Amino acid sequence: MEFHTQIIDTIYENFFDPKKRVFVGYLFSAIIISFLWLGFVKKKTLTECFYKIFNKSIFLSKSAKADYILFIINIIILMFLSPILITQLAIATIVFEYLHSQTFLMPIEANLQYLWLIPYFFTITYFVIDDLTKFITHALMHKIPILWEIHKTHHSARVLTPITIFRTHPLEGVIFIVRSALTQGVVIALFFYVYGNNITFVTILGANLMSFWFHLLGSNLRHSHIWINYWNWLEKILISPAQHQIHHSIKKEHYNKNFGVTFAIWDYFFGTLCTSKDNEVCKFGITKNEHKYEHNIFYLYLSPFIGIYRIISKNFISRFHNRNKQTFIIKNQ
Amino acid sequence: MYKSTNMSKRLTKFTFVGALACTFMVSSIGLVNADGHGVYGPFPITEKSYNGPKKNSVSYGGQIARQLQHNGLKKLASKGNPNDPTNGPEKKMLSYLNTKDKSQTLAILDPAPNSSKFPIKQKMIGELSGGANLSGKADKRIQTSWPGFMSGVDVIKFMIKKAGKTKGGVDTRNGMNYPQLISKYTMGAVLYHQACDNYLDEKMTADSKPNNKPYKKGAYYTGKEHSWDEAFGYWGAAAHTMKLTAAQSYDIAKKKDLKAADYNNDGVVDLKTEMTYAHAYYASSYDKTGKTNYLKNVTKAFIDGRKLITSANGNKLSKAQLDKIQDYVQIICGNWEDVIAESVFKYAGSTYKALGKIEKALETGSGMDAAMSKYLKYWGELKGFAMALQSGPNNTSDTFNRLNRMMGFGPLMPNLSQVIGIDSSGNYIKDQGSSIGYYKVHMLKIQKLMAKEYALKAKVNDATGGMAALLEKVGTKKSAEND
Repeated sequence: MEFHTQIIDTIYENFFDPKKRVFVGYLFSAIIISFLWLGFVKKKTLTECFYKIFNKSIFLSKSAKADYILFIINIIILMFLSPILITQLAIATIVFEYLHSQTFLMPIEANLQYLWLIPYFFTITYFVIDDLTKFITHALMHKIPILWEIHKTHHSARVLTPITIFRTHPLEGVIFIVRSALTQGVVIALFFYVYGNNITFVTILGANLMSFWFHLLGSNLRHSHIWINYWNWLEKILISPAQHQIHHSIKKEHYNKNFGVTFAIWDYFFGTLCTSKDNEVCKFGITKNEHKYEHNIFYLYLSPFIGIYRIISKNFISRFHNRNKQTFIIKNQ
Repeated sequence: MYKSTNMSKRLTKFTFVGALACTFMVSSIGLVNADGHGVYGPFPITEKSYNGPKKNSVSYGGQIARQLQHNGLKKLASKGNPNDPTNGPEKKMLSYLNTKDKSQTLAILDPAPNSSKFPIKQKMIGELSGGANLSGKADKRIQTSWPGFMSGVDVIKFMIKKAGKTKGGVDTRNGMNYPQLISKYTMGAVLYHQACDNYLDEKMTADSKPNNKPYKKGAYYTGKEHSWDEAFGYWGAAAHTMKLTAAQSYDIAKKKDLKAADYNNDGVVDLKTEMTYAHAYYASSYDKTGKTNYLKNVTKAFIDGRKLITSANGNKLSKAQLDKIQDYVQIICGNWEDVIAESVFKYAGSTYKALGKIEKALETGSGMDAAMSKYLKYWGELKGFAMALQSGPNNTSDTFNRLNRMMGFGPLMPNLSQVIGIDSSGNYIKDQGSSIGYYKVHMLKIQKLMAKEYALKAKVNDATGGMAALLEKVGTKKSAEND
């Protein structure tokens, strides 16, 4: 396939494949949900709803424009990087072969009566584990300084639109691809080993049943300026769009909160949950100290390398200093 | 008056249209046969030194005789009897291996000679050729895929000896299913080996069996014509294969479709031209999946190649013609090799599944006999085809070393014993293998190796195919995106 055709194909796939989050169907459902929310819950008029949802100053802001450019450039970069990354099939094969050398987990001949349940069990388990690994990876991106340097690109967004998910440094893209391959490879190999050909994904329009509903019910509103919150008890189970907006808030008290994607239970267990009750987000992004030229494309690509270099050199210099200091002390003893 | 004119006009129109349709149909049939793509033969006599009455230069009776000897050998291998002091089963098998049936004493055992559902024209192998046997044509090289440093014919004789002394031809102690081992290995060591490592190899060079000389003194066919025909005979396809679907060719081999087989409508199946054998049968089985077209690829190349040789009209083939012949050889032997590799892949998958049943039987303490029977059958087919694959022009590649190492000389038995060699008296030497799980992984790796080294498409019984399909379904990320 020719280079430009491949780029166009990937862009097309993002918007017209129901497996993708920004599939036009899901974007449309997000718009409908926004209208319903603003109209019925917030009691806004239709015109007010329209101007709020399609806010020109947001979609044409410098921050949003940077998102659009990153989306295209990253596709090109990943076209070259993806082929050298480990594939989920390679991981699945390694895991599948390893499973033959142990006796703890053995293949099961499923009772015919319950055969239909296996695909549902598999689909749901896969979705839950996938969500857990997303949570873990996301938390690590915030907690480990080197990874934070990379993840900062995403958090430098001043406005949130569904396209902000693509405001991602390619290094982070690689991390996410590897995470995804690991999760898929391990979970699918495990299930395939135990249940053989009885497993399959339950899908709607080719998308995982659970992902389909997650996206249809407004996953795109997580990255938006529409503040939609759930009941407090529900926000301890599922992450609402408002909770993810809190995650992007510039306020100090909102730092390192709500790492979850679909389920809030992970944040609840690990003490990072912040419900929308009594919380308000005034501004998205990170401080100028964290990211100097937040919408400069060149800088967005370069800044993680600068940040990582600073961390490494700072550690190296301090260790070097400490060692010299110790040597000096020993010599003078 | 008016009415009759109208009627006559209609009749004229009808006759005209009918005649046109008939002409079209007849000319279409004529074209299919005339361009040589429909049927393998007849081809005219081009050998200039021949002045006899023959009109058709095609001849591969000896190869069909060998196909039938192979079929007979397989049938007899399952009749082993340890209590027969006369070694009757072994002697009978050896007669199908060694005898040139000039006196027509060797009966055709498969297809059954007296079947009313699938009546056959010939009853004795000698009716097809009185000068052909299997042993004279088996691979003479040392077979590294089998213990004991034996040549191809010695391996077959060794297996025959063991089969004759084993009840039903299946040695449950050492795990050898001789009917499968003998059949599949003979398919490789004689049929595939002769075609791709002899007739289409050495004999398709400029100086060997030239086209401007008879194949042998007094023959009505040229050197190249007959070499090509012999290779076609080893392929085992019916001459009218191009007019059949893969399913029909498959059913002919299974003796289920007399109508499709009986091309000349004489009510019987001519075993020389109307039957599907061995390799062509396996090709049809993969083509039936709709993923491959091995049978027609190979058969068409055979027909096109024969047409090219015939077009030389008994003159020496030019460099360009020899090059073109090499192109056909590549298609034939490349696809043929893939068909055998598909079989290795398929039976590695079957063996993998059967090992799962063995594990289950060990765990539950029941169903071991049935599980073992299947396991040994599949392993026999796997080993036989793996050995057959090594009977081609190249038999010493790293791929084959790995293949042999992974499957071993015998199957891993439930007590974890495995044949590792043969002593000076011809008895199997055994040692302890690792674990069933580990051996199952070897089957997976064999499938992976075949898929990597050959252009496999059918991939029947793909043990990890379901997993790969699931991963494909879930898709891969091509964009850098946050959650």
